Amino acid sequence: LALYFHIGEREEKCIIKDIPSDTLVVGNYKVQRWDIHKHDFLESAPGLGMFVTVTSPSGEVLLSKLYGPQGTFSFTSYLSGEHIICFQSNSTRFAVVAGSKLRIHLDIRVGEHFLDESAIQAKDKVNEVNVRLEHLIEQIHHVTKEQDYEREREEKFRKTSEETNSNILWWAIVQTLILISIGIWQIKSLRDFFISKKLV
Amino acid sequence: MPPRSTRGPLPPLLLVWALAACAARASEITFELPDNAKQCFYEEIAQGTKCTLEFQVITGGHYDVDCRLEDPDGIVLYKEMKKQYDSFTFTASRNGTYKFCFSNEFSTFTHKTVYFDFQVGEDPPLFPSENRATALTQMESACVSIHEALKSVIDYQTHFRLREAQGRSRAEDLNT
Repeated sequence: LALYFHIGEREEKCIIKDIPSDTLVVGNYKVQRWDIHKHDFLESAPGLGMFVTVTSPSGEVLLSKLYGPQGTFSFTSYLSGEHIICFQSNSTRFAVVAGSKLRIHLDIRVGEHFLDESAIQAKDKVNEVNVRLEHLIEQIHHVTKEQDYEREREEKFRKTSEETNSNILWWAIVQTLILISIGIWQIKSLRDFFISKKLV
Repeated sequence: MPPRSTRGPLPPLLLVWALAACAARASEITFELPDNAKQCFYEEIAQGTKCTLEFQVITGGHYDVDCRLEDPDGIVLYKEMKKQYDSFTFTASRNGTYKFCFSNEFSTFTHKTVYFDFQVGEDPPLFPSENRATALTQMESACVSIHEALKSVIDYQTHFRLREAQGRSRAEDLNT
C-alpha cells in the first residue's frame, strides 16, 4: 500500500471510477490517525474504522459497510458509468480538535483477476501455463468491455453535439425571422405615420 | 480458450515472474477537486527508482489545474500552473516520501475532476535472464510480446477515454 493522502477526521473523501458493466473492482486501504502527543501517525488506532460507500451511476448504493483500520473491499458493477467510492471514518470526535487528521493509504484495482498463487506454485508445469494464459484472456476481455463502453459513450457524445448543432440552427432561424418581421412592422408603421401626416 | 493439451518443458522462472511482478506499482485515481482547494498525495520511493506522474483534468471550468511535485527535502521537481494535462518522468535521487499536489485555488466557483496516474518503478522483465542457460522459448517470447502489446493497448485506451470524457464534458456544457 503505497500512495496515501490526508483528510480531516470527519471529512468524506470520494474518488470516481468510470467503468464498464460487469467489472470487478478491488480496493485495499489502511487508515492511520494523527497523534498530537507523539506528532506522528499511529500505526494502528483501536476502534478506528472506515465507512466505505460505493454508489452506482444510477444513484443506487452498491456497498455500504464499516471496515476496520485496514481492509479490503470489492464490488462488481452492474451498470456502466461513473461509480463513486467514498471513505469516511467512524470517528465521533468533533472536527474542532486541532491538528487531527487521518492518513489514508489506498490501492484500487479495476478489472483484474488476481493470479491464484497456489496454483502457480504447483509443480505441474502445464497448469502454470494455463493459469497465465487464462489471466491474459481475462485481461483481454476487460479491454474489450472497455471498448464497448467507449462506443456507448461516443454515441452519447455525438448525440449531444448534434443536438447542440440543431439548437444553434433553430435559434439562428428564429432570430432571423424575428428581425425580418420587426423590420417589416417598422417600415409599415413609418409609412402609415407619414401618410397620416400628409407628407407623402 | 487455450488448448488444454499444451505440453513441453517450461522453465521454473515463470514462478519468479509471479513474485517479481509486484515490485512495480501504479496508482491511478480520479477525484473531484473543489474550488479553492488543494489536494496532496504522498508516496515513499526508494532511491534510483524511475517514476512517472501523469495527470489530466476531465471536467470543470477551463479544464486546468496547478500541479507541483516535491522531493523529501522540499525541492520542487516539477511545478506548472494551469495545465490541462501533462506527463513528468523523474528518477528518485534519494529515499523518502515524495509529495505531489493539485491545486484549484485560482478558481472561485468551478469544481474540477482530476485524473492522475503515478507509476513507480519499471515493470520487471517477464523472464529474468539471471539464471537462464538458454534463450527464451517460443512460448515465452509470445507471452512477452503479448504482455507488451496489452500494456500499450491499456495505455492508449486510458488516454482515449480521458480525452473523450473531456470532450463530452465540454459538449454537455455547451448544450445546457
